Amino acid sequence: MQNRTFVESFVKKRLGLFGLLGVLVIVSLGLLAPLISAYPKGYGTEILLPPSEKFWFGTDGLGLDLFAQVVWGARTSLYVSFVAVMVAAVIGIPAGLISGYKKGLLGSLIDGIIDIFLTLPVLPLMIVIAAVVGSSITNVAVVIGLLAWPSLARVTRNSTLKVSELQFIEAARCVGISPRMILFKHILLNIAGPVLVNLTLVMATAVLSESGLSFLGLGDPTTWSWGTILKKAWDAGAVIDTPNPWWWWFFTSSFIMIYVICFNLLGSGINDALNPKTRD
Amino acid sequence: MPMAEKILEVKGLTKYFDVQGGFLKKKGQVRAVENICFDLYNSETLGIVGESGSGKSTLGRALLKLLKSTSGEVVYKGKNILDLSDTNLSLIRRELQMVFQDPYASLNPRIKVGNTIAEPILANKMVSTSGQAREKTLKLLELVGLRPEMYERFPHEFSGGQRQRISIARALALEPKVLVCDEAVSALDVSVQAQILNLFNQLKNQLDLTYIFISHDLAVTKYISNRIMVMYLGEVMELAPTEKLFSKTFHPYTEALISAIPEPSTKGKRKRIILEGDIPSPIDPPSGCKFRTRCFKTMKKCKNVHPEMVEVESNHFVRCHLYDARKEA
Repeated sequence: MQNRTFVESFVKKRLGLFGLLGVLVIVSLGLLAPLISAYPKGYGTEILLPPSEKFWFGTDGLGLDLFAQVVWGARTSLYVSFVAVMVAAVIGIPAGLISGYKKGLLGSLIDGIIDIFLTLPVLPLMIVIAAVVGSSITNVAVVIGLLAWPSLARVTRNSTLKVSELQFIEAARCVGISPRMILFKHILLNIAGPVLVNLTLVMATAVLSESGLSFLGLGDPTTWSWGTILKKAWDAGAVIDTPNPWWWWFFTSSFIMIYVICFNLLGSGINDALNPKTRD
Repeated sequence: MPMAEKILEVKGLTKYFDVQGGFLKKKGQVRAVENICFDLYNSETLGIVGESGSGKSTLGRALLKLLKSTSGEVVYKGKNILDLSDTNLSLIRRELQMVFQDPYASLNPRIKVGNTIAEPILANKMVSTSGQAREKTLKLLELVGLRPEMYERFPHEFSGGQRQRISIARALALEPKVLVCDEAVSALDVSVQAQILNLFNQLKNQLDLTYIFISHDLAVTKYISNRIMVMYLGEVMELAPTEKLFSKTFHPYTEALISAIPEPSTKGKRKRIILEGDIPSPIDPPSGCKFRTRCFKTMKKCKNVHPEMVEVESNHFVRCHLYDARKEA
């Protein structure tokens, strides 16, 4: 039997690859935004033009290019989801690993904290915090991360509980592997699937949350994000007007959807490829 | 067998597990291992046999401090290793090792087997570079009868017997003096069992190892052990050199176990001693002698008085009231 590497097997799985391509496209859009189009600001005269060769996604009520907005919005969305994922991962993964592996007071304490955080009503809290700390895009990202870690910690903890009972963990202890290595190598490798999938979910929901907050006017009004575009479309009545300037909201919404789907596909692709048993 | 020097001294080793009581229920204790005393001699193989639930695996884990013991001492090189703090464990981690029961669960499925073996070598700083660790690992693979190219493979690509060889290689990586084999062949096919048992014997001669061989299979234990310790419900019932245990069995429980070994024979059927029922719950063990509820030679005394270990002949210890008289004589 041939032993496939992680990469080979990942490429073999079409859906994961598709997700990766989608993610790469969005990431390069975001990273290369300044090269692709000028930062949309001010106003133009060509208002509410449908998609054309000049304006791929049409223009909005102020005559600004919607394609440029989506591209610059991708930049913001990536930044937000990246920061949120980092915050959630840095807190959630160690918390889940420790509470799942260490029985006794420390484990129960962390578990209790996870439970308390899970019962918090996320959206209202996000709105309140975002209103209090001010609407900078970094603040929004950190808040999203702070409210996303408990679900990540819970997934990590549950998987850890299952894995830490297995004999190879005891065997690792027996041959003198340090607890840190057991947690962050032996256990984490075996729960990488659910954790990575959950991370991509956090990545995806972070964009949704950011869009939601911006849509409610709690985002950063000085930056373009997908939520801001939708808010402006909504405020201008573009969603319900007839005749409808559908391009104003359609492309942005599609991008949010594609972003979420691609990250989910990527997550499950990684999950399949990480498991040596499903590699072949 | 000439008795060599003691390598390990176990004194009164006891392990109780607390049982969480439910709502309005009182807490209980599982008396998994109670007051175990024995000496392990250099380069011998001590077999530990007993039914499921007799506490033999718990004993093995308590010896290596994989479980925290309730009380007792395990003296190795003049030190009670149960007193060692976690940071000072490196001594026993290196010199006392374990081979686990289930070859399918005892290897990390996400780590290449070569790295599984090399990791403890590096973690315990036995060599300084990963290149040296790799070299040592390749030698170990050869020692246990595996090919060097298997270094790069994952556990799921191996059969049960091969995996057990990998587990053995991992345990040997730290150059241990004592190897505790916890049901190390029980999960394998009979033909593979024989291969692994022969590997154990070969390694013992090559590396001067001392084994504690835990098994529920008396036939296997007989084949590999110099001495056998019979356990029942967390206590030692009989401890004797292998030939003595089989030629001159004292304890009724051992008698029953030996009579249950299947033997191909053209002679008429041997009388089997069938023990009724299951091993009692270690949460609420019988009073007096723990074996009395299933013993076919039970007496009045057994119910009230807990029998002590008696040396009925030299090096042959029995815990049974039938032989109390010999002690006094």
